[in-house]
Amino acid sequence: MLELADLIFIMLGISALLSVPATILAVISRDLLKALIFSALQSTMYTLMFFLLMAPDIVLVYIAVSIGFMSLLIILIIKKVGRYERY
Amino acid sequence: MGSEIQIAMYMTVILSLYINISICMYGVISKPNLIKKLISLTILQDSINMFLILIGYRLWRPGIVLQPPVLLDWSPTSEVLKQFLERAVDPLPQALVLTAIVIGLAVNIFLITVILHTYRHFGTVDMDEIGRLKRVVIVEETA
Repeated sequence: MLELADLIFIMLGISALLSVPATILAVISRDLLKALIFSALQSTMYTLMFFLLMAPDIVLVYIAVSIGFMSLLIILIIKKVGRYERY
Repeated sequence: MGSEIQIAMYMTVILSLYINISICMYGVISKPNLIKKLISLTILQDSINMFLILIGYRLWRPGIVLQPPVLLDWSPTSEVLKQFLERAVDPLPQALVLTAIVIGLAVNIFLITVILHTYRHFGTVDMDEIGRLKRVVIVEETA
């Protein structure tokens, strides 16, 4: 019989496991825009983990900062510098 | 049965965070592109913050119903306060992480500015190219 605390821990484990391939794809991807999108996906998984760990104030800051604002700034600098990594 | 699932999932979370930290350290050290280094560094910061939040988490005791960690009445008795302290999480790591996220935002904006000026000076953001160009400049100045 699954209790509610078990369900919370299972959701924590699933979101932590889904953040690992997002991190791997963000590091090994040659296209910098794809790397940024995978980084935002990993940030989304971390946001779900923050919410499940009973820290809703950090969720409110972290969504705006790490998914919105950093993605905007890195898109701007990718537009200036060039999209593709050389090797 | 329930506690075994909880312990297994907790160890899964800690192992995933360690794997994330190791992958991001590989990305910071081994990738020559400066923007890729910056993206890896932001993921590294978030993983460390997640460890800090995970320290302050407190599991509910069995028998306590799931409620938000706030006080629901204006004049709480000592019994209500005792139950509240038993089910509330630790707020100190959350305050630390909230400060660390904002400081990390400022540091990341500074790093983006440094990368932009490096690109305007050298014409590239590849670390190997920058090292070669700096060597050429030094040879030209000394000759």
